[in-house]
Amino acid sequence: MRESTIKEHNRFFLNMGPQHPSTHGVLLVVLEMNGEYVLDPQPVLGFVHRMHEKIGESRPCQGFMPNTARMDYVCALPYNHGYVSLIEKKAGIEVPKRAEYIRVITSELNRVASHLLWLGAYLLDLGAFTPILYGFDDREHILDILEDITGSRLTYCYYRFGGVCRDIDDKFVEATRAFIKRLRKRYVIYEKLVTKNIIFIKRAENIGIISPDMAIRYGITGPNLRGSGIAYDIRKNEPYSVYPEFDFEVPVGERGDCLDRYMVRVREMEQSLRIIEQALDNLPDGPVRSKVPKKIKLTPGDCNFAVEAARGELSYYLIGDGTGVPYRLKIRVPSYSNLSCLQELGRGILLPDLVSIMGSFDLVIPEIDR
Amino acid sequence: MIETCEDFKNNVLNLGVDVTETDFNQRGYHLEVALTLNTVREFAQKAYEQGFYLVFVTGFHVLPEEKEGVKFSGLEVVYQFARYDRLCRVKARVSVSEDMTVPSICHIYQGANWHERETHDFYGIMFSGHPNLEPLLLCKEDRNYHPLLKEEEKLKSFETVSWPAKTLESSDAETTALSDP
Repeated sequence: MRESTIKEHNRFFLNMGPQHPSTHGVLLVVLEMNGEYVLDPQPVLGFVHRMHEKIGESRPCQGFMPNTARMDYVCALPYNHGYVSLIEKKAGIEVPKRAEYIRVITSELNRVASHLLWLGAYLLDLGAFTPILYGFDDREHILDILEDITGSRLTYCYYRFGGVCRDIDDKFVEATRAFIKRLRKRYVIYEKLVTKNIIFIKRAENIGIISPDMAIRYGITGPNLRGSGIAYDIRKNEPYSVYPEFDFEVPVGERGDCLDRYMVRVREMEQSLRIIEQALDNLPDGPVRSKVPKKIKLTPGDCNFAVEAARGELSYYLIGDGTGVPYRLKIRVPSYSNLSCLQELGRGILLPDLVSIMGSFDLVIPEIDR
Repeated sequence: MIETCEDFKNNVLNLGVDVTETDFNQRGYHLEVALTLNTVREFAQKAYEQGFYLVFVTGFHVLPEEKEGVKFSGLEVVYQFARYDRLCRVKARVSVSEDMTVPSICHIYQGANWHERETHDFYGIMFSGHPNLEPLLLCKEDRNYHPLLKEEEKLKSFETVSWPAKTLESSDAETTALSDP
């Protein structure tokens, strides 16, 4: 009798967020708890919902470009990339090869910056303060490089229909090469500091295991999926832009736990650097922007374009009606599907493990809420 | 590329659904499937068994019309599926009848739960069998306001926003049309 009263006392609801630092933005997770065990975590979305899809349907397609960078602001260039590629496909616009190379270089730089930020933030969630300082130090170099060429540090609007708005210069190439050299030296520090850290391993190993079947049921993509051993990368599986011209690998994990997701992202950074190096070596000459009609007409019918963002598959699905304004624009964001498995994954685990799992998902809330 | 989808196409043809092969380079998906309200769940089950993951569920709004004596609401639900192991992207579409209800597929694809809630938020489409059709992205006070429903003067007919019919017809139908003087 007394024992059951204690058990009843132990059951309570806990609001994690919307101001909790480890939710990385304004996300609320309502937790039904039993002591320090989570019985049922329920994410509550919509705090930063801005209805980007409606905005996309209410103005000519050029006007939506700045919005594409305001969903996943940590890795905005692939969002630019997906949208311009979609419109180029729909309106039949040619893109000069040099422009595609520049798009790939800048997108991959942005991916590295995103993974570095994630690395620091994840470790911060687990209580390690130092790595975020190293991560931000390296990421700062990328932001400086990209700022010089795009004019912004976070919410880029650099790509244009038919190319990019500015050509890269020698300073950019030099700085990028110097950064690649620098980051490769820093791996050693990261390895000593984090990867071999016993406390980190204990917090990440065998925690939050995503099985391949679970990935299918929830539509999980990106590093979260590859951690489970499935080598699915849109850059390889559904090649777009000039990615088929580069030699790179798709790192995968084995168990699908937090540690595997960590390892996949760390190894992905090196693959991104490899792509950037090859692109810089073979950078073609020529224009960076083709002639595009002032009024772009989107042919009737629907069209889908998928790209690999830092968090997984980003799909733009557009229905045209012959005018310049999309009739329907659906944006499929990776974190939305990735987070949706939390309710199943988080049942019956310790609260600190839930923090570890959410950190390993690499969530960007404004992307989920759109 | 289309041969990678061949077995799936043959598999779902048994369900009595209308499957069309499409030009991937033009549209970004390989198969277009026209579902009826009765075949949504069976189709999703087949897709799951074949190893497809759910990319998204969404809707769009066109002029309501009457087909074969059945009145439709003008709302369409679009599903997209793809595979991890090979390149095959499938778009499935179902017209919503006047009672605004579509069978939910979230007991097959648990990931559809949020996608269907979002579609309910934006269009007011009901998903029968959904465990929790509460507002997800919009707030509870706005539960009767559906932002992606178009105003009447902006609505276009389904044909206006679809690919021209000749690309949809099979190749032999096209050749007969061409040989016809």
